[in-house]
Amino acid sequence: MAPLPEGALVMSLALAVVAAIGLWTVLHLLLLSGLAQARAQHDLQAELREAIAGETAPLGAAEPGTPVALLSIPTLGLRQVVVEGTAPSDLQSGPGHRRDTVLPGQAGVAIVYGRAAAYGAPFAAVPTLRAGDGIAVATAQGEAVYRVDGVRRDGDPLPDPPAPGTGRLTLVTAEGSGPLAAVTPDRTVYVDATLVGEAATPPGGRPAAVPDAERALGTDAGVLPVLALCLQGLVLGAAAVTIALRRLPSRTVWALGLPVLAALAWLTSDAAAQLLPNLL
Amino acid sequence: MNQEYPVVVLQCRGVDDPAAPADRRLSPETCWTTTYLERYAAVSPALAVWRHDRAATDADRADQDAVADWPQECLRFPADLFSQRLLPFRSAKGQVYASCNDATVPPESAVDAALPASELAGFTGLDGTGDVRFEVRSSTENESLGCSSEVACSLVVIPIMGISCADADAACRGTGSFPPGSSNFGNVGVDPAVSPLYWWSASNWQHRFTVPLTFALPPDACDVLDPRAPVDMYGSELLSQATLQWAPAYCLRQDRFKMRHNRQTEEASLRLVARGEAAAAFVSDPAHDPPVPLGYAPVAVTGFAVAYVADLPDNAGEADRMRLTPRLLAKLLTQSYPASISGRAHPGLERNPVSLNADPEFVELNPGMSLTTEEARATVLSLSEQADTIHALTAYLAADPEAAAFVAGTPDPWGMVVNPSYRGVTLPVAEWPMLDTFVRDINRECESLNKVPYLGQVAAPVTTMRAIAEAVLDAWPNVQTQCTRATPTDPWKFGRIPRQGYGARFMLGLVTLGDAERYGLRTAELRTAGTGASATFVAAAPGSMAAALAAARQAGPGEPFLLDRSALSPDAYPGTMVVHTAARLSGMPPADARHVSQFVRVALEEGQVPGPGNGQLPAGYVPLVASGPTAPLHAAALAVADAVEAQRGAPAPQVPAPGGLVPPSGPGLPGESSAVLTSAPLGVGGLPPEAAVPATEQGLPADTAPAAAAPDADGTTVAGRSTTAGRLVPAMLGLSIAGMLGVPALRSFAGRRSTP
Repeated sequence: MAPLPEGALVMSLALAVVAAIGLWTVLHLLLLSGLAQARAQHDLQAELREAIAGETAPLGAAEPGTPVALLSIPTLGLRQVVVEGTAPSDLQSGPGHRRDTVLPGQAGVAIVYGRAAAYGAPFAAVPTLRAGDGIAVATAQGEAVYRVDGVRRDGDPLPDPPAPGTGRLTLVTAEGSGPLAAVTPDRTVYVDATLVGEAATPPGGRPAAVPDAERALGTDAGVLPVLALCLQGLVLGAAAVTIALRRLPSRTVWALGLPVLAALAWLTSDAAAQLLPNLL
Repeated sequence: MNQEYPVVVLQCRGVDDPAAPADRRLSPETCWTTTYLERYAAVSPALAVWRHDRAATDADRADQDAVADWPQECLRFPADLFSQRLLPFRSAKGQVYASCNDATVPPESAVDAALPASELAGFTGLDGTGDVRFEVRSSTENESLGCSSEVACSLVVIPIMGISCADADAACRGTGSFPPGSSNFGNVGVDPAVSPLYWWSASNWQHRFTVPLTFALPPDACDVLDPRAPVDMYGSELLSQATLQWAPAYCLRQDRFKMRHNRQTEEASLRLVARGEAAAAFVSDPAHDPPVPLGYAPVAVTGFAVAYVADLPDNAGEADRMRLTPRLLAKLLTQSYPASISGRAHPGLERNPVSLNADPEFVELNPGMSLTTEEARATVLSLSEQADTIHALTAYLAADPEAAAFVAGTPDPWGMVVNPSYRGVTLPVAEWPMLDTFVRDINRECESLNKVPYLGQVAAPVTTMRAIAEAVLDAWPNVQTQCTRATPTDPWKFGRIPRQGYGARFMLGLVTLGDAERYGLRTAELRTAGTGASATFVAAAPGSMAAALAAARQAGPGEPFLLDRSALSPDAYPGTMVVHTAARLSGMPPADARHVSQFVRVALEEGQVPGPGNGQLPAGYVPLVASGPTAPLHAAALAVADAVEAQRGAPAPQVPAPGGLVPPSGPGLPGESSAVLTSAPLGVGGLPPEAAVPATEQGLPADTAPAAAAPDADGTTVAGRSTTAGRLVPAMLGLSIAGMLGVPALRSFAGRRSTP
């Protein structure tokens, strides 16, 4: 077969790169990020156990990213450590507790966001909950049990505010429709659950509002400088591999360079994913 | 205060009636002065003019410090060296302050007290007239003076005509050294016989005119008279003067409630309302992204104004007219005047006029003003916080092509350019940013210790519009460039510059129309159309504000009325703003819902009757009535009041049929009001009008019926949507499949083309 003309070569290379980026994105979002999330959950669970045992677990406002509660929904087989904060980066390690609401188990409305497709999709099955299902949340103040009231979608009536001294937990995620529903979560869905038993008193000191990045389907443009650095690293890595390929045996180069490139690509994808809606 | 032959104006406790009991009678001892120097004299015997006063008693003419009851703490000078005279101050509580030094004065006149002096000595022009503005203070501001609704007070005006001399003493017979009609700017020494310092001397005091003053209920009347827990409403300062008068009409009636208006930024107020932590918010602009549906009931038509105080040169009195264009306001807000010669070192401002009054554009519109430049003349005192007022002001600038072009970087016809820090700043904004970072390079210890942006110190915006109104009233600019230190060993810091002297005042401030009327501030006319000499300038007046309402649009039932400032007619006042009561339409506790709807209904009825009484509408507000240009607002407000009380989501679109929600009373035109209301039906959870009116005549709720009719008396869930989240994965999948299919296809296609 004759060598391709230069234009076609460039075109096909470009197409190959596009295909690689698309494949990598899908692979990262649906598969690799899930592995990272499982690993993060493992660490967070240990951290939370230690904090609860040592009575250092937060009762009120905490640094974003700190584990605050263990959420389990037996009917879904779901067991996740909830972290403080609902920015896209917080939700990469597990469901996130919205910082301007009370913690689960406390009097008032507690809101927990969870991803529906990427990073392990912890809340993918949450919209299938039915009224009466149980939700257990363990925090530093003990275990609280909630009963699901129902699933709320666009146009459904809002529930009444909880009476003083009672608590409600609202799980928020997104869902899609059509044949690709599982990977196209484009609108928010809410699941309300009422606290069974006595509510703890919230300590106060919560922020009055959260930035847009921490609202439902919020994106965090603050990651852009980090992303730029990651992309620079990726470019540098690729250049180093290209140069090394000319001087060293290719097998050595790939053995050395592939892990580095994969790690850089992973880092870049994690940063880029913060530009995507936090419930994805 | 140091003038010759001035007219002294004082506020004194008591009435000027010889028949009144002694403790309610006016005397020099109950007259307020801010410094002890106006009550205590210690001069050499040759200058002690009061000792030669023919009208005084022998005791007054005697050497006072020799008498037995001379206060111990006032023994400052040996009695034989000076002639001394003391006029103690008697406070409302009966306490006597000797007032001979800073330690023996009432707390309100201590050094660095909160309020500047209110007493003044005005000078008389060559035509024999004079004009001053006097601030009357109640017991809220000045407890020692203690004027209130129960304690009568008087305004005392004393023309100083010289002390009538009992003998041929030279000092007493002095006739002054300043030419008639002039003002003592330099504060140099004056002839004591004709100075205001001895206003208390018998021959001056006997010439007084007194004007009895009566006071309204104090602002804390509700707290004193009504033990109930207050219903908190937050929001716009535009409504402060109205709610001040309205509050007693609510709290003093058992069938109403105790309302409290807490001034707060509109954004924060709406957030409190949305979260259920406040009953209602007073706002002009809608909430950005409310989690629950809110209803907006118009309750007041008022607005902002640019208040000014400007003395004409050569003691010609005060300017009573000032005309401003949007571009002049833009120049002031963007800190484009360098404020002083040293400010001209600011890059980009080298060729700009130093201050507003030196700007040819201003001079052309306002001839005859003083041309002296001064830092305070380069700025307009404005708000540092988020405010719908700032949004309205900047929208007015953005709607003007000249102002917008100036901000974008086009020089004005005289070559003045915008401050580069503000070039291209986004308009309109709800919070004016402080962008300038220029620090003056001056070899002064205090400047080198405090590296702060110079023009920011000149602008020095404050947090409340009331503070601005008081600054303009006192002609005390908030320019923070005065080097001060508490003691000679403390480090220097920047503080507020001193008050401007009478005759040399010039400052501008952004105030509410309510405050401008309350404090009697002069407000500038704003340009609405045309340029140059043919331009139209409009002052704030009920007619021009009503004309602005023609540009008010409502997006749907329950939504606020927004003024499109680019569509204002030339006779409309551009500072007009509509203030709404915003409240949740679902999920509110029934008691709060009842109170808010009652508030709106009462505010729309007795609250729109102009007058100074409890519950009436103060000046600065256009009565919002059911007929005329305010008819759509009135009808919409009543509809929202019903919707708030029903707590079942947004109000239904209005039906112009007779059975509609709000039959307009009086000569209102039903067609006119509904034309606006039906423009865009919202209809989320809207109920038929008949079902939405369970209210009775008393404004009391039909407590159980609506709850039974609608199982969940609440708003509706609004789902967030994101196309990114929905399309990302399929798009990426599509891309990769296209790429994977494309590469072999391209190769085979190109290979076939290149083989033959």
